[in-house]
Amino acid sequence: MTIKKTMLGTLGLLSLTASPVLAEGTINVLTWEGYADPSFISKFEETSGCQVNATYVGSNDDFAPKLMAGGGVYDLITPSIDTTKLMIDLDFVEPLDTTKIEGWNDIYPKFLALDGIQKDGAYYGMPYVWGAIAFMYRDDAFETPPTSIADLWREDLKGKISLWDDKSAIYVAARKNGDMNIYSLTDEQIAAAQKSLVEQKPLIRKYWATAGELVDLYKAGEVVISNTWAGYQSSLLADEGIKVTEFIPTEGAEGWMDSWMIVKGSPNQECAYKFLNMQLSEQGQCGVANVNGYSVANAAAAKSCMSPEQFKTLHQDDPDYLDSLLIWQPLGDRFEAYTNAWNAVKAQ
Amino acid sequence: MSFLRRNLPSMLVMGIPLMWIALFMLLPYGIIVTYSFWLKKYPTFIPAFQFGNYVTIFTDPQYVRVFLRTLKISVLVSAASFLLAYPFAYYLVFRCRSVALRTWLYMAVIAPLWVSYLLRAYIWKTILGTEGVLNSFLMSLGIIDEPSSLFLYNQFAMVVTLTYIFIPFMVMPIYTALEKIPTNLTEASADLGMGPWRSFWTVTLPLSLPGVAAGFTLTFCLSFGDFIAPFLVGGPDGNLIANVIATQFGAALNWPLGSALAIVMLVVVLTIVSLSDRMERKGMTGGV
Repeated sequence: MTIKKTMLGTLGLLSLTASPVLAEGTINVLTWEGYADPSFISKFEETSGCQVNATYVGSNDDFAPKLMAGGGVYDLITPSIDTTKLMIDLDFVEPLDTTKIEGWNDIYPKFLALDGIQKDGAYYGMPYVWGAIAFMYRDDAFETPPTSIADLWREDLKGKISLWDDKSAIYVAARKNGDMNIYSLTDEQIAAAQKSLVEQKPLIRKYWATAGELVDLYKAGEVVISNTWAGYQSSLLADEGIKVTEFIPTEGAEGWMDSWMIVKGSPNQECAYKFLNMQLSEQGQCGVANVNGYSVANAAAAKSCMSPEQFKTLHQDDPDYLDSLLIWQPLGDRFEAYTNAWNAVKAQ
Repeated sequence: MSFLRRNLPSMLVMGIPLMWIALFMLLPYGIIVTYSFWLKKYPTFIPAFQFGNYVTIFTDPQYVRVFLRTLKISVLVSAASFLLAYPFAYYLVFRCRSVALRTWLYMAVIAPLWVSYLLRAYIWKTILGTEGVLNSFLMSLGIIDEPSSLFLYNQFAMVVTLTYIFIPFMVMPIYTALEKIPTNLTEASADLGMGPWRSFWTVTLPLSLPGVAAGFTLTFCLSFGDFIAPFLVGGPDGNLIANVIATQFGAALNWPLGSALAIVMLVVVLTIVSLSDRMERKGMTGGV
């Protein structure tokens, strides 16, 4: 009897700890904060009968290690366009049946043309949201607004500068050095970027690792200029009453785009496609735009569910803006050279 | 059957620890050692037997630099903990007359261990920040005119935070060691004409060395493997070896190099532990 009780207890404990639960009609998504926000997911759960469990990542580097640790847990993921190719090459995701996705043809052609989400003529990712890695400054710290990446190397701003703790720091430094081919840098160009970043290091207050950390740094008065995920941190800071302005430097900005991908062998195909359809519809597109302040991939849905102001603010009406961004590209086997250079900067 | 029944208890007694060691020590370390010989190859890595990862660690200056920095921070944390913990433990054992007060003071040091590590590290952000408690305090005293950014996001902040977090591990062994010293030894020393300082140098301190060694080992090893403090209060020059390992397993997707780094780190820690073990034994047999 007691043994039975103990066993039952253990089982109970196991079921408590062994989440997320794999039940039919439940999809587990590994995604960014805001992409499965209750403000629009709750309605989806009611109408579709599919339960959504969301786990959040802090960086694109979290997807591969999480999926490498063993499959069968997550059904859907949302890596950015520099990581989607890696997911395909790692054989973690499966091709999409685009005929099952309504509104597929309303996606900006520029995104559908991207190499990172396809292989052998099949699509593996459904473009979802996009934005710029803009730069940002605190209004009260500047009399003349900064306009260039070089402003992050200014001596008089020593101890007030922050930069994203990411390999993209190499992209920033390369552009400062006049190398605009940031996704196909030569070893010499990477070394030059590394040197610039080492020179900048004494001026840096802190490299920011998460969105919340950057917000805290501005809030606590620690930094006045940095790069940022356009639309996101600035709106969080606005909520706190701190006035910041985003800008695209004269050296241009990188652009990112996140896609939904179905994890290979996901048993919940039906719910997965229902979910994709919802995310690409007005419900999902305006849902995420309202929560995160990102621009969306479905031009038609954006037009019908956004106010004219929001439509303009998010650059949905402005193809030139999108064209001006240097959209992230998979680095393939050059990836290591970039991360190694960035790690060397941090080790300095 | 009867054999099994008779021997079951002893088999269980021996078997559980052996299973534990095999499952939670030998197996994971074995896996890490194996990975450390593998080869990075896009998109991930492939099985191999080569020493390239170890060569990289000792030839690429970035890894040596981070190892030395981690060593420096850990030594500073251990030293700072020792300087604070020893007088405190000494006071508790030999000077504090009230048992209630002693219990309270001891608990005051131990209690923070029950608070989440993250929270304790976070607190130092609010204390040391540019608009933090320390700056407001110094400004209200008129010692500084404008907030200083010298306290947070640098190695100083990391040493302060880690010292605060790990100091209980220095207090506890020293307290135990001091408590075990019979008071009649110091009395005898006094009877033989030694002043209090000489009694301390020749009797109390040597006898408490095993506790000090244990405290140094614990605080050193804990700081050596820390990666939260650099993340929260460390600055651009705050990367420690554990952060580098985390990067190799995450962003760089280079598990082989990360594993090799982990093995080198393990060797350093084991060396420290065995050195301190030798010292403790020497202390116990009175060979000082």
